[in-house]
Amino acid sequence: MACGPGAEFCFPSPALQSVCAVCSSVGWAEAEARDPRGPCPAPPRPHPRLGAPTPPPRLAACARRADKWLVRHVRSVGLRGSSTCLGASPFSAFLTVRAPPMEEEQTYLELYLDQCVAQDDLAPSRSLLLSPVVPDDAYMSNPSHPETVFNSHLEEVKETSGHFSSVDLSFLPDELTQENKDQSIIRSKHEIEENYKTQSQQSRLSLSREQDIGLGLISNSSLSNSHSHLYPGDADSVQPSLEKPNSMPLVSITPMTPMTPVSECSGIVPQLQNIVSTVNLACKLDLKKIALHAKNAEYNPKRFAAVIMRIREPRTTALIFSSGKMVCTGAKSEEQSRLAARKYARVVQKLGFPARFLDFKIQNMVGSCDVRFAIRLEGLVLTHQQFSSYEPELFPGLIYRMVKPRIVLLIFVSGKVVLTGAKERSEIYEAFENIYPILKGFKKA
Amino acid sequence: MAYQLYRNTTLGNSLQESLDELIQSQQITPQLAFQVLLQFDKAINSALVQRVRNRVNFRGSLNTYRFCDNVWTFVLNDAEFREVTELIKVDKVNIVACDGINTGSNTTE
Repeated sequence: MACGPGAEFCFPSPALQSVCAVCSSVGWAEAEARDPRGPCPAPPRPHPRLGAPTPPPRLAACARRADKWLVRHVRSVGLRGSSTCLGASPFSAFLTVRAPPMEEEQTYLELYLDQCVAQDDLAPSRSLLLSPVVPDDAYMSNPSHPETVFNSHLEEVKETSGHFSSVDLSFLPDELTQENKDQSIIRSKHEIEENYKTQSQQSRLSLSREQDIGLGLISNSSLSNSHSHLYPGDADSVQPSLEKPNSMPLVSITPMTPMTPVSECSGIVPQLQNIVSTVNLACKLDLKKIALHAKNAEYNPKRFAAVIMRIREPRTTALIFSSGKMVCTGAKSEEQSRLAARKYARVVQKLGFPARFLDFKIQNMVGSCDVRFAIRLEGLVLTHQQFSSYEPELFPGLIYRMVKPRIVLLIFVSGKVVLTGAKERSEIYEAFENIYPILKGFKKA
Repeated sequence: MAYQLYRNTTLGNSLQESLDELIQSQQITPQLAFQVLLQFDKAINSALVQRVRNRVNFRGSLNTYRFCDNVWTFVLNDAEFREVTELIKVDKVNIVACDGINTGSNTTE
């Protein structure tokens, strides 16, 4: 299930390219093997960037794994107004995950993107998009990444079509290989200039929720129209493929605040390692009775005034207090944490207590990832001393307290990064995207 | 006071049954039987500490565990009890464990 039929933009995402490079699973390898040009093959010409009329079959294997990710991403982030890496990065970040271990990972992506949409709706900054595209020059001089190149194109598109929505198409994949990038940049610039006046007022990008595009495609008429202006040759073939059976109502898309150039998008997604949550069972509990009758419970009131209970699926530990409050730790995702807390509540309920499930709240999320290069912590602490604390004699990692989002990162010389203090998954992702360019600046040798 | 842990063993149960018979036949009073059991607790605990030297290793997969009143209760599945001389395999074993004399809670609370 690569690009769904009728999807007008069937091009692989830049993230897919990077994913393919990184990922080593068989499915990816298949796609890799099929394309001589590189990990993520570009769709066949006429125009690789916009609206290949048919989905590139070669991407099927890659897309199959990532399509769900892409569907979600496209649905919301895709056409958001983020004109920078920040918009593209979550997408690429998500896609570089080797393979979503669970289905719920995809819904997390979706949730994250939903939040991005909400943020965008709240803070439209269309002017950012219409402002002189400073990054363009940067992109022109730095066509080393497909996403960079494509984002530059998208910047231009945004400019011209900015009136209809500050659509950030930077997430859209650009499968162009090196030699084609320059040509595309030049070509698109020309076309955008000449088509600027002819841009229609199409403004809303309707994103299909269940788009089976798998490649970061957007099913929306305005986008296709805008692109068709740019590439008249493809317009006809693209236009008919707009209607999607499951297209959602038009989403108001506003740009996210551009903070970092696209060229610094990391292809890395932090993996959640631990979630701590609390819930109120809303009834007084007899801990001794619970400890005596429940399986896998410890209760040593002399040491700690709570029953420590564990379950195997999801593998978690709960601290159950006599007040009825409970802490659940060890889950790897928000949904698992909630499910585990419910299981504990059911255990307590079966022992005869009138347990309820009030005020479930995730208190802390911990994620970790690897930037895959060594880091000069000394340099980092010198330049970011108001945020960092590095005492190698106390602890080998640098403790970076990021202000926005309020996340604490433990950065190690090996390049491993631990992020903690998040209440939302998006905060972890955002913090990592913020720190990644900084860390790249302190790469060793 | 010694643990009454060993009353529910082959030896302890035999003693209890014998005492019950004697009580039934009015040869001893229940109070005396109670004192006999207390003495049994002391004797068995000290005997295990002083007179037992061999060592048995066991392993199995943990089904459940419990810790309450300083008593650990484990249920192991597919356990193997290994002594130098022999090996015993069981499908399910219930282990009840109390603090030892020297390994009891020495930490001040």
